[in-house]
Amino acid sequence: MSNQLPAIIVVLPLVVSFFIFFSGWWVKRAGYPLAVGALIGCVLLSIGILKTVISDGTIHYWLGGWEPPWGIEYRVDHFNAIMLVLISGLSLLVALYSNKLVERELPGKSALFWSLFILLITGLLGICITGDLFNLFVMLEVASLTGYALIAIGEKRALYASFRYVVIGTMGASFYLLGVGYLYITTGSLNMANLSELLPQLYQSKSILAGFTFILIGLSIKMALFPLHGWLPDAYTYAPSAVSAAVAPLMTKVMAYVIIRIMFTVFKADFPIAMIRVTDIMVWFGTLAILFGAVMALSQTDYKRMLSYVIVAEIGYIIGGIGVANPTAIKGAVFHIVNDAMMMACLFLVAGLVMYRTNGHRIADFKGLFRDMPFTAVIFTVGALAVIGVPPTCGFFSKWYLLLGGIEARQWGFVAALLVSTLISVALFFRIFDKGLYTHAHDNGPDDKGAADNPQAGDAPLSMLLPAFALALAILLVGIYNQVIVNQVIRFAVPGGL
Amino acid sequence: MTDLFSITYRPVLAVICPAIVALLILFSGKRPNLRESWTLLGSAGLFYIVLSMTPVVLGHGPIQFSWFTLFPNIDFAFKADALGLIFATTSSCLWILVSIYSIGYMRSLKEHAQTRYFFSFALALLGAIGIALSSNLVTMFIFYEILTISTYPLVAHEESPEAIAAGHKYLAYLLTGGIFFLIGILMTYFLVGTTDFNNLGILKPALSSTSKLTLYLIFFCFLLGFAKAAWMPIHSWLPTAMVAPTPVSALLHAVAVVKAGVFGIIRIVCHIYGIELMQALGLGLVLASIAAFTIIVANFYAIGQNNLKRLLAYSTINQLSFIILGVALLSPMAVTGAMLHIPFHGFMKITLFLCAGAIAAITGIKTISEMAGLGRVMPVTFGAFLIGAFGMAGAPPLAGFISKWHVALGAVESGYLFFLVIIFAGSILDVIYFFPVIRTTFFGKVPAAQTYETDLEEKVALYAENKSSIENQQALYLFMIVPLAITAIFSIVLCIFPNAFNIYELAQMAVKNTFGGM
Repeated sequence: MSNQLPAIIVVLPLVVSFFIFFSGWWVKRAGYPLAVGALIGCVLLSIGILKTVISDGTIHYWLGGWEPPWGIEYRVDHFNAIMLVLISGLSLLVALYSNKLVERELPGKSALFWSLFILLITGLLGICITGDLFNLFVMLEVASLTGYALIAIGEKRALYASFRYVVIGTMGASFYLLGVGYLYITTGSLNMANLSELLPQLYQSKSILAGFTFILIGLSIKMALFPLHGWLPDAYTYAPSAVSAAVAPLMTKVMAYVIIRIMFTVFKADFPIAMIRVTDIMVWFGTLAILFGAVMALSQTDYKRMLSYVIVAEIGYIIGGIGVANPTAIKGAVFHIVNDAMMMACLFLVAGLVMYRTNGHRIADFKGLFRDMPFTAVIFTVGALAVIGVPPTCGFFSKWYLLLGGIEARQWGFVAALLVSTLISVALFFRIFDKGLYTHAHDNGPDDKGAADNPQAGDAPLSMLLPAFALALAILLVGIYNQVIVNQVIRFAVPGGL
Repeated sequence: MTDLFSITYRPVLAVICPAIVALLILFSGKRPNLRESWTLLGSAGLFYIVLSMTPVVLGHGPIQFSWFTLFPNIDFAFKADALGLIFATTSSCLWILVSIYSIGYMRSLKEHAQTRYFFSFALALLGAIGIALSSNLVTMFIFYEILTISTYPLVAHEESPEAIAAGHKYLAYLLTGGIFFLIGILMTYFLVGTTDFNNLGILKPALSSTSKLTLYLIFFCFLLGFAKAAWMPIHSWLPTAMVAPTPVSALLHAVAVVKAGVFGIIRIVCHIYGIELMQALGLGLVLASIAAFTIIVANFYAIGQNNLKRLLAYSTINQLSFIILGVALLSPMAVTGAMLHIPFHGFMKITLFLCAGAIAAITGIKTISEMAGLGRVMPVTFGAFLIGAFGMAGAPPLAGFISKWHVALGAVESGYLFFLVIIFAGSILDVIYFFPVIRTTFFGKVPAAQTYETDLEEKVALYAENKSSIENQQALYLFMIVPLAITAIFSIVLCIFPNAFNIYELAQMAVKNTFGGM
């Protein structure tokens, strides 16, 4: 049983997703418990996998017993394992949190929603677990298509945003497929491990170069790397809060994972770094993305839109970190994938909490937050401080590795961009703190007594607060125990040969 | 349980104490009396914990405690050494007094959001104590940022546009400074692979692998990082931040926040660069010049001020630079003086601020020109003010004399007689800008016929005619008057017994360790 874990973690949500869809015809409310059950299963499985990987090293699993390179291989090392834990953990929290929202925003369609939601998670888990380039494409499409559909459920303009995302996203996926095609033509293999043995003799080949480029561009579109980010702000702003809380943090991070996989596992590190020097370009794109994202975020009046641009900037952190390409910076980039997913999820959850109360997600809706919704305010504070990078939240620690890596590699532009964006995020979030602290929604005069300070009424329901609270706690704990995570897991995710 | 109270855990206890207090305050926000008792209990407990570490440190050397690992070679670790204890003793002792004072001040002005106020206050203390007791730069950075962020709601407490703007300026200066601090830390870590404070400095080995220019740049990153020390020209957040309620200005902008900056500079000079490297690089002279410039210019700024709190702000800037000057002279005597000036100036300046606050809370007057004759109706307050003002100038028998004497001796010892002139000029200017305050308040005439806008002013005038004190009008006022009287008395006691709370011995020990065999 235990050696079947890698298959079960994908099959379980896949089956449950269809089951939810059909059960929705009989029992309207069956979706939520089934979804949560599946996700709890995924969390347990992923933790089991992580434990196995830490104790026994990389897991090889041949789907259906077919031997690679002919069959599909699931290959789980430390990097996949932590991604699996991240995806299933975050999606479980988001699912727990979303129940009330779904009932409110999508009455009667909850079975459909949960079916799609679980399918999305299936796709994301599949992308991270697979060791086969084409299988990765399939899973990528599973995740993307469900993502389009989920986003389209949202507000009035979501349909348009989703359509734009469909067009651009499909282009990205096609680029990726095209690239994989080139690699397949040249080598005749789709298995990552097998490719990495075959490719070094062919590094001079022009078609390999073309394949690599196509893959990289396709993934950059999917992960919204500046200047290919155009689809992202609209899509994440108008999506339902439950969706944006799951898609926004996970989708782009999973793509970042794939990029690291392709660059350093399928290709050996010396190809992107020494031979075609693509990393130098990536540093600059990362730097630009950081600055662009930060400045654009500053000019938004809508909270979710602002967060979307923060994601653009954070993608810049990760790509820049990969581009710096020394062990410290890659460690930072990998760690930042984990951290950023958590803090973005936390902040998007806050968006949902605020929206539950005020029906809006503009920054102006945050007025009086600290008085009216004290718990939400605390969660928001933790998330915001993490994005700014204030210790002891986890954001500080990944930023530290990125900065240190940048200094070691003498990439001063990147270091400066990181620091400037830190300052900009200060302005970004303190603008909201001000609204929350000093502008009162229902002003009862400045001279009310200290005793009336904390009316604990008016916060969002507990079922929404608790998951968000757990996430905020996780942000702090990951920060405090970062050495454990870095030494046990992330250290091994850093590719060899740097 | 007994194990938990053993001496190695004391630094952690000292840090946890304000954190617990902050939480308790948050949860008892609806019951003000309970909330204030937590503050008082917590501050007393903290002071006790800090004091209990002193004999051990004096007898057996620093108490070290490492909690968990942050980065390779960097722990989240505490080290209570002599220098840190000086700062911790000062902050925790004054927290008790200011807490009492805050109760009187906040309640008599019927301020809003008192829970937030006391909560942030406790968090700020957490930051200050953490800075004092941290054993490496990263731990210090963590608490440094906590201190910055927790004081923001205090500065903007009034929630008026002016206050919020001041808060923004405060954050802009200090967080930008924080970024530079971070660069400094990263570069240090990159060069020598550690950030632990060491008595002889840790950056010396870097001299072989990198250029002098890099070390200069790192030093300036650190200096900019300690924007909290308010040296010129990055001082202007401090006078702006004076819109905060007076107890905040008193504890944070006379003791915790600004002293954290100065304390950081001392740490950098003595325990990161080390005296030898500072001399080799010639950075002492650079730092001393900046400090000398600030001393003189800040004094000139102070002379023209009509707003009492702004005057005190500039006075603070000048005294902070005096501490920096003491360290920059790099001679044992001067460094002793600088370390002594941290607590001594703390006690004196807090007296002055508490006086300013008491005047504002009782009479509503904030500008000096309106204070004519007030000295006669508020004798205790202005008596204390007089003590504080002369203490600033370094007149015996006040605490300021001891520290200034040491720094002056240090200036002679190091051979830079020019800075001796600066010290004397600074002290004379101190008298000059305090003189108008004293003259107006004691000898100024109360304007005779006047339509009173508020009944408070009327009260002032009324009592001025009766020649009796208005300080004991309400029982609540005593919460303000008593603490400021105590700090004033301490300002005298610390001159006669400089070794109160073992401060003098601690300073000597810190200096002896830093200078090694020199």
